[in-house]
Amino acid sequence: MQRPEQNLMEFTARLKELIIRVLRLEDIGPEDIIDSEPLFGEGLGLDSIDALELVVAIEKEYGVEIPDAEVGRHAFASMNALAGFILEKETTKKTSDALG
Amino acid sequence: MRWVETTTTVRFNEVDQWGIAWHGHYFAWFELARMKVLEKFSLLPEEFTALGFIAPVVSAHCEFKKNALTNDLITIRAHVLKPQTASLTFRFEILRQTDEALLARGETVQVLQRLDGTMIYKLSGMLKTRMESMVRYFWP
Repeated sequence: MQRPEQNLMEFTARLKELIIRVLRLEDIGPEDIIDSEPLFGEGLGLDSIDALELVVAIEKEYGVEIPDAEVGRHAFASMNALAGFILEKETTKKTSDALG
Repeated sequence: MRWVETTTTVRFNEVDQWGIAWHGHYFAWFELARMKVLEKFSLLPEEFTALGFIAPVVSAHCEFKKNALTNDLITIRAHVLKPQTASLTFRFEILRQTDEALLARGETVQVLQRLDGTMIYKLSGMLKTRMESMVRYFWP
């Protein structure tokens, strides 16, 4: 089942709010997070402890696992990458759940 | 919540020219208690390595409350926090044995990496089993 294209922006916006809430990024608003910039290092400048907290929150919220930094390197490459990663895994999960 | 304790004596080479323990040594004393905890749960550095992991410290913090002086007998105690993420947080306290005065309070956070340096975000296997049994000991 594919999410309608127009929902992608809305999904990304909700994801940004989740990141801000979970990581308590007090001085940052959703508009400050650039969709194409990296979340770690340069860009948003998150660190390894932030990654651990974010992984727990994403699993809780979307049921999508990011087991290690190797997977995280792709998933956290940018806001666009993270949204794409979650949506893809959610779809795969739903399909496999439906197939039993 | 429980503590695991160990003791030591403040040595002459650990104090500064004012006779007060140099602040950096508190972290070495924390290490005595950490090793005592890790030994109890088969998670000593070499045992971590045998499981295919290392656990580097990414944050260390200490508050100094009272001075430790040469020849003071001190108790160092440690416990592990219930983890919210795939990490290992130790809390420490150092007490003077004669009057149980709190000398320092500290915390370290360790993350977990495979031997190739890849950080892991989720615990699994024997590492998870041993870390969970360690947490249960402190939070029965």
